[in-house]
Amino acid sequence: MIHIVVVGILVIVFAVLTYVGVNSVDLMPVQASAQAVPIDWMWNWQVIAISFLFALIMVPIFYSMIVFRRKKGDTSDAEHIEGNTPLEIAWTVVPLIIVVAFAYMGAYSLGESRRITDTNAMVVKVKAQQFSWTYEYPQGFASSELHLPVWKQVILKMEAVDVIHSFWVPEFRVKQDVVPGRVTEYRITPMLEGAYKVRCAELCGSNHAFMEGPVIVSSQADYDTWVAEQIEIASAATPEGRGRKLVTENGCLGCHSITPQPGPSAPSWFGLFGSQVTLADGSTVTADEAFITESILDPAVKEVEGYSPTVMKPFTFTTEELADIIAYIKSLK
Amino acid sequence: MKKIYSIPLIRGIVWQVVGLLVGIGIVVGIRAAMGLQATGPFLVTEHAWVFGGFLGTLTFLVGHGVMGDWFKWWRGEITSDHHEDKPGWEKYFGPSLDHKVIGIQYTVTALIVMIVGGTFALIFRTELAFEGMQFLKPAQYNTLMSMHGIVMIVVILLGIGGMMNYLVPLLVGAHDMAFPRLNSFAFWIVVPAAVWLLSSMALGGIETGWTGYPPLSANMNLVGQQTFFLAVFIVGWSSVLGGLNLIATVVRMRAKGMTAFRMPIFVWASIATSLIALTATQLIGLSFQMVMFQRLFGMGFFDPVKGGNPVLFQHLFWFYSHPAVYVFILPGLGIVSELLPVFARKPLFGYKWIAMSSLGIALVGFLVWAHHMFTSGMNEYLRVPFMYSTLLVAVPTGVKFFSWTATIWKGKIDTPVPTPMLFTVGAVFVFLLGGLTGPPNATVSTDLHLHDTYWIVGHFHDTMFGGFMFPFFAALYYWFPKATGRRMNETLGKIHFWLMTPSFFVMTLGMMYIGLNGMRRRIADYDPAMGFQPTHFVLTIAGFLIALSVLVFFINLITSLRNGEVAKGNVWNSRSPEWQVESPMPAHNYEHPFEVVGEPYDYGLAGSKYVEFAKHK
Amino acid sequence: MSHTQDKASALKQGVLIGVYLAVLTALEYFIAISFMSVTVLTLVAVVKAALVAYYFMHIYKLNEEHEGGHDSFEYKTGTNRLGLWLFLLSDSFVFGGLLVSRFNLLGLERPHLNQLLGLAVTAVLLLSSFFMNRAETSMAHGDTKGFLNGILITILLGTGFLLGVVGVEWRLAAAEGLTASKNVVGGIFYMMTGMHAFHVLTGVIFLGLVYRNGRNGYFTKEQHWGVEAAAVYWHFVDLVWIFFYPALYLIGTLS
Repeated sequence: MIHIVVVGILVIVFAVLTYVGVNSVDLMPVQASAQAVPIDWMWNWQVIAISFLFALIMVPIFYSMIVFRRKKGDTSDAEHIEGNTPLEIAWTVVPLIIVVAFAYMGAYSLGESRRITDTNAMVVKVKAQQFSWTYEYPQGFASSELHLPVWKQVILKMEAVDVIHSFWVPEFRVKQDVVPGRVTEYRITPMLEGAYKVRCAELCGSNHAFMEGPVIVSSQADYDTWVAEQIEIASAATPEGRGRKLVTENGCLGCHSITPQPGPSAPSWFGLFGSQVTLADGSTVTADEAFITESILDPAVKEVEGYSPTVMKPFTFTTEELADIIAYIKSLK
Repeated sequence: MKKIYSIPLIRGIVWQVVGLLVGIGIVVGIRAAMGLQATGPFLVTEHAWVFGGFLGTLTFLVGHGVMGDWFKWWRGEITSDHHEDKPGWEKYFGPSLDHKVIGIQYTVTALIVMIVGGTFALIFRTELAFEGMQFLKPAQYNTLMSMHGIVMIVVILLGIGGMMNYLVPLLVGAHDMAFPRLNSFAFWIVVPAAVWLLSSMALGGIETGWTGYPPLSANMNLVGQQTFFLAVFIVGWSSVLGGLNLIATVVRMRAKGMTAFRMPIFVWASIATSLIALTATQLIGLSFQMVMFQRLFGMGFFDPVKGGNPVLFQHLFWFYSHPAVYVFILPGLGIVSELLPVFARKPLFGYKWIAMSSLGIALVGFLVWAHHMFTSGMNEYLRVPFMYSTLLVAVPTGVKFFSWTATIWKGKIDTPVPTPMLFTVGAVFVFLLGGLTGPPNATVSTDLHLHDTYWIVGHFHDTMFGGFMFPFFAALYYWFPKATGRRMNETLGKIHFWLMTPSFFVMTLGMMYIGLNGMRRRIADYDPAMGFQPTHFVLTIAGFLIALSVLVFFINLITSLRNGEVAKGNVWNSRSPEWQVESPMPAHNYEHPFEVVGEPYDYGLAGSKYVEFAKHK
Repeated sequence: MSHTQDKASALKQGVLIGVYLAVLTALEYFIAISFMSVTVLTLVAVVKAALVAYYFMHIYKLNEEHEGGHDSFEYKTGTNRLGLWLFLLSDSFVFGGLLVSRFNLLGLERPHLNQLLGLAVTAVLLLSSFFMNRAETSMAHGDTKGFLNGILITILLGTGFLLGVVGVEWRLAAAEGLTASKNVVGGIFYMMTGMHAFHVLTGVIFLGLVYRNGRNGYFTKEQHWGVEAAAVYWHFVDLVWIFFYPALYLIGTLS
């Protein structure tokens, strides 16, 4: 009997220590959405249950292995205890009740995280493709950045062009697959201003790891300023402006950088035009109109050193569009 | 040369290559004659590779000779059931009918393939130790990661095949499995499958993970994708036939007096496993076959442009692949239940409850598949029912844990703890961690965050190590004397355990930690801004320490085969029938059949016996 | 139902079951053209399947107790029987998966197929099952000649079914533009009929081997497990078609 009491006390001590210890580490990223609150509430209960159950099994086993271990010279078997039906029933029924309670809490927190607080929420269309995210805003422009005003519920209507992707902003907690051939919805209420990233959470091909895009939560005023800027850019009538719009809408900037620092999966466009490009076979070629056109329409023909050409799928553009894109690339230096 | 060719394995592989080439030739010939394109990015089109692979598998089996007796039956000949193996090592390369030989074939193949799968892990783990791509391209990373997954799954299937084949006939007192030829066949079809699986690395690789979700797996212009599907399809058949054989053996070939609740507990676990393997496996076969056909013939099952549904694949796939994890763990948990009483010198606490919990896990396991798809865009109203059914699995699993704890409680365990017991207790702890990290994934709301992160990677490595690896090692240390008549080295065994267990805990806890913080699964590189690099470095070190511990195990295994301490008797003082006869086990198992006269785990009950051997044959 | 009845009444029973199945099939067709009800069609299919499983496949034999030791022929046959049924259980998951895919992808639509041909091949397969049962019953009563004739007719009808589906139906469908790669309707149609035809083909080969061995006097009244296995497998293939036929030809509206 004394052993049971000691083990009982040890279990509680150990469970509390585990819970405190686990919580002293930053387990979750910052809570940046209202949806994260019920999810983290649920998570906390999970951690409590894990800590307790871990202690409940581990402590008696360790205790028994140390205290009741075979003493020197003892060759007899242990006590013949075959089982205990009331005990078995107890540890079937009690966990069953707990499990049902947890499932209920799970359903409740799921409901909370899906609560509709704004029936007229802004709808942003999301296009996912290998390997970029593109957003179409209700104000009539597209961007490769997701800008959201804080404390406003937003619905993302998401569609995939090629394969399955998954929209996940760790700070928002919620994740939703983006499936070709259907529109999936993602309802979110950002509640903390900051710069985050959407990270594709479903393996989508060679450069899946780099399918990330900026998500910026800002005050309504900053958001409005940004929208105004974007509308201005989108309505630009210059070739560079149209080119910029084209490459944004087609997701090119998901891989190709426009700064001197190239991305991990595709060459940078900064200062590209007119430069010497080294190909995989060691030869060099001048990045002129012909080369860029060919690389857009059939990327596999000339393999740039260090990058796999099969990563990029061939695109189709009209001659005018190609000219606009090249004009935009020319402007990057 | 002739001598080498006379080894069935070599002959089979030669025939396999010939079959592949003939198959490719036929398809290229037909396509050329029909005026279709016959060449492709991998020399010839996928059609040729797939047909060649299919034909090569058949020619392997014919050349190897594993179907020899069947061909004789078809010709109306009668073959002897009393098949004598040649002494020595050669029988391990041929179509033996002895379940013990087949069990060892499975086990050794599992260990060899484990080295391959582990090496893949070490390669990409090293790549992940630092930010940025160091020596792999993303596509190569994806291939290695996918191969690690599927190769390790094959290892587990082979490992449980080894344990079940070797042990179950011995435990139920049968002279062999119910269908010895089918048994041999089920093992040998894995060999050509393994060849196709590994060759997919040379045919462009697989970039979809082992789950092979379309449309990605259907769009990837890589022949490796097809050979991967073909290989999994064939391994699936091995699993189906193995399960069939095992159920028939247990139902029909038990010793006299062995009623259902007097069977050793491992037999219960094997039955539960085999029921899943027998039925659900067909659906991963079907789903992969449908993707293969989509690629080959343009059948648009999962292509939305043609009216297909990518989510359907996930339903079919997980209908097997979730119960499959119970296939992977139930035999291991059976080993734990089998060994604990022996070392605690106490009866297995609540035998019937543990037996029923295995069946319970298997049956509930059929109703939980969609918890892998909470974020997939499937019908949303399905999510909550699947959460309930998934969480229900915790109840029978809990019964196991509580019963194990009660078995150990007041048990007289030797100090120092013998190696098999170390691994058994290790299995309990590791699987406990794996089990407890499961409910957060089963709960829809928390799963929205956890799905497809490194948390999941940590979770399932815990379940797989606790449910398979640790028990597998325990079983190897425990039954090694039975198979060889020698013991494995205890010191090396303890080094193995104490190197592997802490490293493993560091590795999976580290994975869970960064996973919670936003590290996704299956990514070749991670955002430097997230600050995961130090953790990844530690994980890589831990990974190498695990590899080192497994190296120690292999050294132990090989040296003990020759120089281990001779042990012919009942090494662990077990009540189980196989330990009542001299080791190594004779070719046709028990010379005198036994009758069950008591309970299997009545340790501590003076004068009680589990089995009694007949005086005469 | 005992399997120890005399030959005449066993054959008579086979005729009776054959007639039941034919009537139910006609009923299915009638239901489909008059008031298409998925529930009723499913129920009829289940009744047909149960008749086949009990009277033709003798599923109750799984329950038989066997005298004699584990090495006796009867006991080994019992083990073989269990193995075969486990295999069929496993295989039925493939066909179940195909049915699930069909209803998931097409819903209550069905491909545009030749109704008359569908009914004809279904009748042919049903008839083959009937003759298979006759062959097995003959063997069980030591009538080798009746057995060989029955098997031969079964093989012919099986081949006829294959020609009807793969040779004629596939061509007709392709001629009407329903190709495998056109859309998912074509994909499902060719996949389901193809997988089933593959099983019919293996069944025909199996029956061929049984026929040859039977002609060489391999089977006796007491020991004819090969015949029983071929019969059970053949009836299983028929049983699958019992579900595939309404799923492909009857249920739903034309796509």
